[in-house]
Amino acid sequence: MRLSDVYSHSMVIASDYRIADPVKVGRLLEKRKDGLAAMGAHHVLVYRSLREVGRVLVMIGVHSREPVVDLLRSRVFFDWFDAAGVEEIPAVFAGEIVDRYELSESTADLPPGVLVSAIVSVDNTDVLIAELHSAAETFKAAGVRKVWVFRAFDDSREVLILQDIDTEENARRWISQHDAAADWMEHTGVGVYPPLFVGEFLRMVRVDDPDTGETR
Amino acid sequence: MYVCLCHGVTNHTVAKAVAAGATTSKQVAQACFAGSECGRCRRSVRAIIEAVADDPAYAGPD
Repeated sequence: MRLSDVYSHSMVIASDYRIADPVKVGRLLEKRKDGLAAMGAHHVLVYRSLREVGRVLVMIGVHSREPVVDLLRSRVFFDWFDAAGVEEIPAVFAGEIVDRYELSESTADLPPGVLVSAIVSVDNTDVLIAELHSAAETFKAAGVRKVWVFRAFDDSREVLILQDIDTEENARRWISQHDAAADWMEHTGVGVYPPLFVGEFLRMVRVDDPDTGETR
Repeated sequence: MYVCLCHGVTNHTVAKAVAAGATTSKQVAQACFAGSECGRCRRSVRAIIEAVADDPAYAGPD
């Protein structure tokens, strides 16, 4: 499965926190595959911050019939945070994809670039998406290759926006000199919303269906 | 965002409790249960209290 496909057709649970050794995250996840499978997870993507030592963004793709609140209450999350040495549990984003577009003309599955993640509250998600599309050429010129927009289940104004950018240099330039359609990058880090995350792909963990042994 | 995993309490709910008058994590716990069980989300609760104090619009529309 391509990285970009992990987010499609499923719920996404995202958490952003600090850990002493980000490389350890993959090993911890591998040890907890049974618990992840039980909650309906099919893939877990781990990104490591390029700006802040120890900061990680963990995205869990989930197929589940259970209400999200029941999933979050499960011991899987608490055991995971305990194992990772995370005492203060961060706020967790849970939502579904509402828009995705590719700006790269290449049809090949490009290697992951730099991921810029923002969780913000916006006035109107549909307006946000329309603005993103209208500024597509500007995004493309800046090196943005893919954009995903997720809407939170618990608040229709809350969105998680991921941008895949070709190089770290372009990502830094885009963050400091972006189009007005990306002004939301300046509104991160308020209240429980984490600051803008700029990171690199670290690891993908595939979780097989416990009944069939196949990837969901 | 889900702030308190024990009770499934969201950022929005905590912000509303703060806007309604809760000014400490204990008062927030009494109002909406966030942080009342394991207590490991209290840093997030305090961040919301500060955010609403800085800008009441953080609590969103009624």
